[in-house]
Amino acid sequence: MFRLLAWRPILDPLPIDDVWYLLLLPIALGIAMAYKAVRVADLKTFPKQVLVMAVQTVLAIAGLAVGAYVVIELALPIIAPK
Amino acid sequence: MNPTPPPADERVEMNPGALLAALVLPGLGHVVRGERTRGLLAFSGVMLLFLTGLVAGGIDVVDRREDKFWFIGQACVGPVAFGVDWYHQNRLKVVDPNPKPPVVVGRSAVRSAYPTEGRDPKTGRPVAGGRPPNIKSIGKVNEIGMLACTLAGMLNVIVILDAGFPNRRRVRENG
Repeated sequence: MFRLLAWRPILDPLPIDDVWYLLLLPIALGIAMAYKAVRVADLKTFPKQVLVMAVQTVLAIAGLAVGAYVVIELALPIIAPK
Repeated sequence: MNPTPPPADERVEMNPGALLAALVLPGLGHVVRGERTRGLLAFSGVMLLFLTGLVAGGIDVVDRREDKFWFIGQACVGPVAFGVDWYHQNRLKVVDPNPKPPVVVGRSAVRSAYPTEGRDPKTGRPVAGGRPPNIKSIGKVNEIGMLACTLAGMLNVIVILDAGFPNRRRVRENG
């Protein structure tokens, strides 16, 4: 909390080392917005398509994280015990 | 055997004015072409990514001298990225009094201020005991910040191409 009070936006890095993974949310939203802005033919569907793509991106990355955890923390110790 | 030319409405045409405008500012090419809403949405997406990177990792994530290869991607955002880098190099970094070789003649060696240093705004030299103009980021926030700014540049390439070649989207949808 005190680190956040001393934080100068853009000049200093955001002191969120413990919850860095939350940065996935604005990144997924930004990618979806920029991509769908040039991809959709009818802009009336833009908000829905952005939301769907952003959610898909977040779920895919979360799935990769779960997969990596299963392989490294659970499967590898069984395959190659110490 | 001569290949059959595509029908007139499927030929990809170039819009040089929109292409140039898109190079100046993300989404401006679409605005020039008359698609104001699409341009604003593209601008919002690219700038959301770029600002997310800057806010997460600080201005340190845009650095054409220390992170040359990342900057190639970030430069695709356009003059905004070059402006941020210029400010970082010339207004935030300090002139190194003891530069490491090789020293390039006519180009002052600059570095980020150490945590215990400030910056003299007139000479740009480090001042002991002050607060550094900016703090270098390390670890995950640095990596994610650089990645977000570079992704902004990559996506702006798509936006630029879409602005410069207006009927590509239509051709793709028809095909």
